[in-house]
Amino acid sequence: MKIKFTYLIISGLIALLAIPSRNTMEDIEILTTNTEYVAGKTIVLKFSTTNDEKTSLYLSNSYGTTIIKPIIDSDFLNFKIPELLSNKTGVVHWKLLSKESLSGKFYIRPEQKTETIETYLGPPSIGAGGSDFSMLVVIPTDIYDNPLADSTKITVKHQFLENQINDIIIMKNRIAYKNIYSEKKIGRILVSSECLELNSKESTLNVMPGIPTDFSISFQRNHEYSDGNQITTFSTSIIKDTYGNIVSDGTFVNFFITNTLKNILKTSGTTVNGIAVAKMIHPDHKENWSVKAFIEGMAESNVIELSYKSIISDFEVRFTENNRTITVGPLKSFMNQMVPDGLEVLLSVYDGNQILKILSKNSSKGFTTFNLDNNTFPSKSYTLKIKTAKIEKTFPNTKL
Amino acid sequence: MRGINRNIVRSVLVLSYIALIIFILFGISSVYSYLNTGADRSSMLRTEIKKIDQYLPQLEWASLKNEGRVMDDQTLYAIQNDYLDAWYVKHVAFKTNTLTGINDYYTKTARKNIIEFIEQNNDKNISVVSTTLRHHPSLDFFSEDGKLAVITDKDVVEYKRIYQDETILLENTEKSTYKIILLLEDGLWRIRHMIKEESVDNKNKFEPASNNFKAIKGINYYPQDSPWDMFGDKYDTSIIEKDFKIIKNSGLNSIRIFVPYEDFGKAHVKPEKLTKLKKILDLAESENLKVVLTLFDFFGDYSVLNWTLNQHHASAIVSSLKDHKALLGWDIKNEPNLDFESRGKTNVIAWLDNMIDLVKSVDSIHPVTIGWSNTQSTSILKDKVDIVSFHYYEDLDKLDTAIKTMKTEIPNKPLVLQEFGISSYNGLWKPFGSSDEDQANYHKKIQEIIALNNLHFMSWTLYDFNDIPTDVVGRLPWRKKAQEHYGFINKNGENKPAFKYISKE
Repeated sequence: MKIKFTYLIISGLIALLAIPSRNTMEDIEILTTNTEYVAGKTIVLKFSTTNDEKTSLYLSNSYGTTIIKPIIDSDFLNFKIPELLSNKTGVVHWKLLSKESLSGKFYIRPEQKTETIETYLGPPSIGAGGSDFSMLVVIPTDIYDNPLADSTKITVKHQFLENQINDIIIMKNRIAYKNIYSEKKIGRILVSSECLELNSKESTLNVMPGIPTDFSISFQRNHEYSDGNQITTFSTSIIKDTYGNIVSDGTFVNFFITNTLKNILKTSGTTVNGIAVAKMIHPDHKENWSVKAFIEGMAESNVIELSYKSIISDFEVRFTENNRTITVGPLKSFMNQMVPDGLEVLLSVYDGNQILKILSKNSSKGFTTFNLDNNTFPSKSYTLKIKTAKIEKTFPNTKL
Repeated sequence: MRGINRNIVRSVLVLSYIALIIFILFGISSVYSYLNTGADRSSMLRTEIKKIDQYLPQLEWASLKNEGRVMDDQTLYAIQNDYLDAWYVKHVAFKTNTLTGINDYYTKTARKNIIEFIEQNNDKNISVVSTTLRHHPSLDFFSEDGKLAVITDKDVVEYKRIYQDETILLENTEKSTYKIILLLEDGLWRIRHMIKEESVDNKNKFEPASNNFKAIKGINYYPQDSPWDMFGDKYDTSIIEKDFKIIKNSGLNSIRIFVPYEDFGKAHVKPEKLTKLKKILDLAESENLKVVLTLFDFFGDYSVLNWTLNQHHASAIVSSLKDHKALLGWDIKNEPNLDFESRGKTNVIAWLDNMIDLVKSVDSIHPVTIGWSNTQSTSILKDKVDIVSFHYYEDLDKLDTAIKTMKTEIPNKPLVLQEFGISSYNGLWKPFGSSDEDQANYHKKIQEIIALNNLHFMSWTLYDFNDIPTDVVGRLPWRKKAQEHYGFINKNGENKPAFKYISKE
C-alpha cells in the first residue's frame, strides 16, 4: 500500500511538472548571439523554449532554401545548421516556423586559406609594342569553393626575357585582375599568381610581332624578254614591326602589277622569316610593268618598274594549197632560237572590212599552221591579218 | 401481296448494297487519307526555333560603370538572358526536386551546391515554390577576353512558398542582394559563384493612391453586340461613342470595362489591342466619364512560376495608360474569390498581393481595388487596396446589414458596390423569373439602400445581350438566357422600366 502511495505521489509530481507553466510559443527566444561565422565551422542556433512542441527552422542561403528539425535538449531547441549551408559563404536567412516574427540572419565568411586558385588569362596572344595587353583574372577559393574575401592580397608574377615582375593586387568583387602589357620584343610571358602562400600553375602568354611597317620589294628574272615562258620572281625585304621584330610567318602580301594598258595583274605570297615571295609569268609581248605590294590595311611597299623586250621582230608567212593552209614561222627568239611552245598566234579573216572569224593557235616548235576549210570560207577574196607578240601582218585580197 | 413483298425485298437488297458500297468507299478513303497524313514536310528541316518566354521578372540594369572591358549591348543581353534562365531552372528544380537544366546554367562546381539542396529537400519531402519578381543588376566587372563577368543583383524580390508533405509551412517574400560570377562556357553564361550578401524580409507597405475621386455613379459596360469581346472584330468606336453619350445623359459618371488577358496577348501585350483600349479611354474622356479598368479577365492561372509573365502583362498596360485623364483606377481581378477552391486560396491571395505591389510600383497615382464577388471576401487584403469593391446579386433585404458589417470591418476605405443587377428574363427556361417591372423595382430599392449608405456604385449592365460567350456562364441555356437580360436597355434598343433608376432612386 505504502509503495503504491509513494508511487502515486511521484507520478502526480511528474504530471505536475509536465504541465507547462506558460504554454505559448511567445516564449521562444534566440539565445545565440553570434551572427558571423567562418565557413566550415559547426553552427548551432539555440533557442530557449518552455514548450516541448517541435518547431522547424526555415533556412535560406545563396543557393537554396530548406527546412530543418531541431535537436531538443531539455529547455532548449538546438538547430544544427547542415553543412551544405554552413560551408558556403554569404547571408543565411532563418525563420522559426511556429513564430514567424522570430527571424534573423547570420553571415558566413570564407575561411582565409587558399585551397585552389582559378586563373583565367585571356586573350592568349598579344601584339608586341606595349599597348596591347592580356588580362589575368584570379579567383582564389577556400576548401569549400568559396571565393576569398574582398581585399585579400594576391601577388601576380610574370617573367619576360630578363625581367621578372611581382605585382600585388587586391581582391574586389570576389576576384582580382591584372592587365599584363607586352613589351617591345616578341616572346613568351610566363604568368603565375600567389595568394596566401598558395601558388597557381604557370600560364603562358604569347607576344606576337606587332603591325608590319612599310617595306621594299625587288624582282629577279632570267632575262628581260617577253617570251611568255619564263617566270619573274618578286620578293619583299624582311618585313618588321615598329620595334624591329620580324612579322609572323604567314603574313599575307599582295603584289599588284599594272601593265601598259593599266590592267592589273595580281599575285601574292606569304612571309617566311619576314620575306614574302610571289611569282608571275613573263608577258608574251613588249610590256612595261609597275609593281607595288600591300599587306592589306597595314603596310605597303615602294613601286618598282620592269620592262620586257619583244622577242620577235618579224616572222614569215607561207601560203600553200590555194592559200588555204597558212604556215606562220619560223618564230625566232632573241638568240634566233625557236620560241618556246605556246606563243599565241591570231589569224583574223575579213571580208572587205567585215570581220568573219578570229582563229587562235599556239605555236609548236616555232611554227603555227592554220587550215581554212571550204565550208566555212567559200572561195573568194579575203583579207587576212596575222598577229603574234603584238606584231601584225596584213594580207589583203587573198584568194582562197 | 407477293409482288409487294418481292419489291420490298428487292429495294432492301438494293439499298443495303448501296449502303455497303458507301461504307466500303468511306473506309478506303479514310485509310487513304490517313496514309497521306504525316509530318509536315517543312518540319523535316529545323528551320526555326522560337524562343518561348517563360520568365520575365522586372529587370533594370544600373548604368554601366564596370571595370575591365567595355560592355556591348548584345553581350549584356546574352548575360541577362542566361542569368534569368539560371534563376528559372533553379525555381523549377526546387519546385520539383529534379535537376533539369541545372547543368546548362551552373558550372560543374557551382551546381554541386544546388544538387545537395535538392537531395536534402527530396529526402525530407520538402518542395519550394518560388519566383523572383524584381532584379536590379549592375555589372561590376567584365574580363578583357569577354569570358568572365561579375554582377551584383541588388534587391532581388523573391517570393517563396515552402511545402513539406504537401502542406504549406511558410510563405515568405525576401529582398536579397547577390554577387554573381559568371563564366562563358559552351556559349552559355554559367553561374560559377553565387553569394547572397544581404537579405531581409520584404514587406511592401501600403502607399495610398494620390488621386482622389468623387462619388462613383457608374455602370459595367460592354457594347451590345460584343459582350465579353470588346476588343475583337466587332470593335466599333462609333457604337461605343454613342453608348458613352447614353451613359453620360443618364446621369452616370463612370464605367467599368475589362481587359481580357489572353486576348491582349498574355505576357506580350499586343500594341493594336492597347491602341483600341486607349481609344475607348479617349472617348470616355471626351464624354467626361471615368473608367475603372479590370485587368486579368478570362485568366485563371495563378501558378507562381508564371507570375513574372502576368506582371509583365500588367506593367505594360498600366505603364501605358497611367497618365490617361479618364482613368479612375485599377481593378486587379474580377471575382478572384471564385478561384479559391480550384486554385487554392493562399495561391490566389499571394498572387493578388504581389500584383497590387506591382501595379502600385508602376502607377502610384490611381487607386487599386479587387472586385470581390461577395461581401464576405472584402476583408481579404483590405490593407493593400485603396478601394474595397464587392458585387451583390443576393437578397436585397440582407444588403443593408452586409454593408454595415463591412463598414465596421473596414472603417477607413471607400466601399464600392461594383456589380449588382437582376435579370428580367422569364420564359421557357425560367418560367417564374422576374419581369421588367420586377427589375425596375429592384433598382429602385437598391438605389435607396445605396443612397442611405452613401455607397459608390456600378451597376450590371447597360444592355441586354444577344449572345453570351460560353466562357462566361457555361453552356446551360437557363443561365445563358438569364445573363442576357440584365440590361437597362433591351435587345430592341428600347429603355426598360429600370432605366429610370439607372443613376438615382
